[in-house]
Amino acid sequence: MTLALEISGLSKRFGSQQVLNDFSLDVDRGEVVGLLGPNGCGKSTVLNIVCQLLLADAGRIQLLGAPLGQWGAKARSILGLCSQHCALYADLRPEENLDFFARLYGMAPTIRRARINELMDDFGLWPHASTRVGRLSGGWQQRLHLAVSMVNRPDVLILDEPTAAVDASARIDLWRLIERLRDGGTTILLTTHQLSEAERLCNRIAVMQDGRVIALGSVPELLARVKGQAIVKIESHERPAVMQRAMNLGWLTFNGSDGLSFLLSKPLDLRAVVSALDGIEVTSVSIQDVTLEDAYFELLQNH
Amino acid sequence: MVDDNPSLLLEQILAVSHRLLLQQWRQSRGLIFWAVFPVLMMLLFGLVYSHNASMRAGLDAAAAGILMGAALFFSCLGGTVAMIAAERERGTLRRLLASPLKPAAYFLGMVLAQLQLALIQVVMLYAIAWFIGARYHGSLWLGAFIVLVSVFSYVGMGFFLGVRFASRSEEVVVALSAIGVPLLVLGGTFFPLEIMPSVMQTIAQFDPMLHMNQAFKGVAAYGMGVKDLLFELIFLVVFCGLSIALGISSYQHLLVMELQE
Repeated sequence: MTLALEISGLSKRFGSQQVLNDFSLDVDRGEVVGLLGPNGCGKSTVLNIVCQLLLADAGRIQLLGAPLGQWGAKARSILGLCSQHCALYADLRPEENLDFFARLYGMAPTIRRARINELMDDFGLWPHASTRVGRLSGGWQQRLHLAVSMVNRPDVLILDEPTAAVDASARIDLWRLIERLRDGGTTILLTTHQLSEAERLCNRIAVMQDGRVIALGSVPELLARVKGQAIVKIESHERPAVMQRAMNLGWLTFNGSDGLSFLLSKPLDLRAVVSALDGIEVTSVSIQDVTLEDAYFELLQNH
Repeated sequence: MVDDNPSLLLEQILAVSHRLLLQQWRQSRGLIFWAVFPVLMMLLFGLVYSHNASMRAGLDAAAAGILMGAALFFSCLGGTVAMIAAERERGTLRRLLASPLKPAAYFLGMVLAQLQLALIQVVMLYAIAWFIGARYHGSLWLGAFIVLVSVFSYVGMGFFLGVRFASRSEEVVVALSAIGVPLLVLGGTFFPLEIMPSVMQTIAQFDPMLHMNQAFKGVAAYGMGVKDLLFELIFLVVFCGLSIALGISSYQHLLVMELQE
């Protein structure tokens, strides 16, 4: 079966800044792939190029097995785009927004009406059908925004930080909706800064740095890239002593997001760790499994 | 679903036009000012002219001037600049650019919406003008043609100004004041061309608003025909063509600007 998206050797420069540098990524049909990376690493640039909003300096993109350029304007009916900024018409009602965007795709009136009803059902928008979009909460606006991006039944849905601007409860609602789209077979390429979002929604995650993919895989595959089974986190005023003891014990210093963290090559229970630190004053010790966050920081810092 | 057939273009034009009119209708405060401004202008001019019997002949020309220089200028040119700025500010423009919407459909959709608004303004303004004594003397078809090419030209200029000078709504007034109002003055909206210095008169010949004013005043106030206004009409048609090209290319330029932000 052909891939939904094949991106290879993509490069893009803005002035003196090389934003994408030999970026490559394949996305299977029905797969959700997340792009993770620090600000400015080129995530949105990839999406803009895929959506034909930007031209790459070099590289190749195949959409559903054919070069993106060959699709021409038709690529825009295969792709759906939903960004973090709610790009809707505030003076119009939800159905009117859906109707406007559906008309741009040339949908016949009966098909359009049926599709709008379907989306109003699927996204639970009927209770707000008579409310102008500008008067909806941020969460409902983003829910409608996602519905609008699905109006043309896209084969590939591009989500650019879709939950960045909403509160925690709306975020969970949106995750459920995205999960339903995923379960319905929609291919999704999404960018996010939230590791929990990537962990929950994505089949595979591509970690980006300096305009290229530095690691790609499922969550267990990325966790396996961290050479250890658990992380011990220690708080102590005697930092040098802790460091020296950890080195003697063969614990690897872990470049986690905070404090004194060490990777354990084999699992130890809390009592064994405390015993190993005998003679050093510690205020807290905790042991946890390696998380995606740990793996992410490890990948970024050791690459 | 998406193809290049003319029916898609037409559907997109109608969709854009319908959406703009719906937005305009929902913005009740803006709608009131949009309606009140030319009516007030007409009433004020009417009061001035009716007060002075020797100047009553100028009332017919004033009605034509207010339609071209006040009503259509602010609604078609100002409205277009404001709509572009609003699309950019709200982020809807980026969504449009990622949709199959054709640049020509976006431009023509805006023209169609502005034409419908212009029609309402023409009827409204001339109803008031008739009530205070002004009369329309020439061919209705020729007058309608001049309004049509003027609306195209105003929307084209509005696209250009909106793209180049108004990325936020607060910049709309600045763009209109700095560029639009001097064009209005040079176009003879406030003072007759004859009282301007010769240098200004020469420069004014390149101002499309002068030719819009002169052509419409010629038809509406003095009953002139195509032969009498041939130069103005040719100028307006050529300028209209340039404005359409400028408008559509400005839309494409928007894409570049949006992604640079």
